[in-house]
Amino acid sequence: MATRYDRAITVFSPDGHLFQVEYAQEAVKKGSTAVGIRGTDIVVLGVEKKSVAKLQEERTVRKICTLDDHVCMAFAGLTADARIVINRARVECQSHRLTVEDPVTVEYITRHIATLKQRYTQSNGRRPFGISALIVGFDCDGTPRLYQTDPSGTYHAWKANAIGRSAKTVREFLEKNYTDEAIATDNESIKLAIKALLEVVQSGGKNIELAVIRRNQPLKLLESKEIETLVTEIEKEKEDEAEKKKQKKST
Amino acid sequence: MATFFGEVLSVYSRAVEEDDDDLDDENEDERIHREIEEKREVHIVWCPEVAQSLEDSGSNTLQCSDLIIAVGTNAAGFLSAYVLNTESWDAVGHVSLWNERSRGSSRQSIAPLPGEPACLFYRHRDNPAVLVCQSTCYIAEDQLFQWTEKVFGCLQKRGLSVMVLSDSPVAEYKTPDYLYGSAVPFLRSLKSSASKGQALCPALEQPNILTGLPAAVLSHCQVHQIPAVLYQCYTDVISPDSITMETYKPALLCLSKLVKLEPCLSADVLRKFAIITEAQSNLYT
Repeated sequence: MATRYDRAITVFSPDGHLFQVEYAQEAVKKGSTAVGIRGTDIVVLGVEKKSVAKLQEERTVRKICTLDDHVCMAFAGLTADARIVINRARVECQSHRLTVEDPVTVEYITRHIATLKQRYTQSNGRRPFGISALIVGFDCDGTPRLYQTDPSGTYHAWKANAIGRSAKTVREFLEKNYTDEAIATDNESIKLAIKALLEVVQSGGKNIELAVIRRNQPLKLLESKEIETLVTEIEKEKEDEAEKKKQKKST
Repeated sequence: MATFFGEVLSVYSRAVEEDDDDLDDENEDERIHREIEEKREVHIVWCPEVAQSLEDSGSNTLQCSDLIIAVGTNAAGFLSAYVLNTESWDAVGHVSLWNERSRGSSRQSIAPLPGEPACLFYRHRDNPAVLVCQSTCYIAEDQLFQWTEKVFGCLQKRGLSVMVLSDSPVAEYKTPDYLYGSAVPFLRSLKSSASKGQALCPALEQPNILTGLPAAVLSHCQVHQIPAVLYQCYTDVISPDSITMETYKPALLCLSKLVKLEPCLSADVLRKFAIITEAQSNLYT
């Protein structure tokens, strides 16, 4: 009888479920796909662009946001919840800088966000945040990091991950294709992110938005022309692969 | 009753008797019930040609070989986009009813405006035995029996075959396995025992049940041994949506045998019938 344990989120069901948290995870699946890749000298965030209404300012509809110069995140789920979480994270980043005179580590800010989310799964009258986030950046010592949080307040480090609608398909693609050679160069890492998104995005490159952080450099949003060029490269590589296979079969 | 002193007293009966006052109250109650019943009555309003054909036939019934009923906005949208988009369909009637969720127009003769929740009938010009009914308004439980009796009362039972398309939220689909996002939307079917032939999708598993108009129609067909097949589409979207509408495509196989359909539908036409809530809804990013 799931329905009796839905109402107050501080209540466990007899078999140990927190249904509101699980339902919040369903809300995450209603957001479009976001993928994060940790390369050797670069971290990449790719998102499926939402279709924007004609009269809407496109640049105000963003799935990728900076939290600090060296950390940024992409989210999937409820837009308004994301705004609140991002604001709190940004304040914490600056507060940390002022207090200890060091920029936050990616793990620290992820832990802060995850703790905030967990608090909302343990108070009455409040519902969990309906977002999952992919947080990427570089620590002071130059190590690239990728973390993922979810509405329950758990966080884990990943080499590559995806959230949102069709995340499962993208994750399976990444499990097959994330190899050391696939992330050998920056360009290859970016292409891997695009390839992963192309698995699930309709109508190709123009619905993809990509952001990269390189060591000691701020966030860079790739222009659509650059993305189109990369998509064309990828498609050409695919065709060449298919040609080679055909030739192999015929010989 | 005999008293202690031997006199006999008449005793008042303790059975409740109806006084003049009570009578008025009862009448008032009856009056109120009658008014409510009249208000909730289901009326079918046919166009003049069809009303004439009904009169001309001795039994006040229409000859109908196939009745296709769409219940819900996605099912109705699918029919509008794939079947009713050619010029060969005439609107021949509508059902006028009132309930708390469906405040139909108080004057029955006014046809519902396009886009309003309503229950409309269409007939194919070249094959007048094919009737389509699009029901997007809510029909209360107490009105379902009336609706079914009145609609089927206008149709000849002989040779009649019914197809129902209906929407349902996937949250009401009970299954022991977890449904991954890619599986939704999907179709399940249910048939009356008079229906021969294969359904185009798996049958609805237990313990899932049908409710509302589709259930009333299927029950009626089962009782009266009319071959009927129902396709229930489980979807996770509340508003009309093109992907959900496309899930009904297998039904086109049966429909194409009855009437000529548009061979190939452009995505634009489909989008016209789906409310473009995706772009305007900023709830999820």
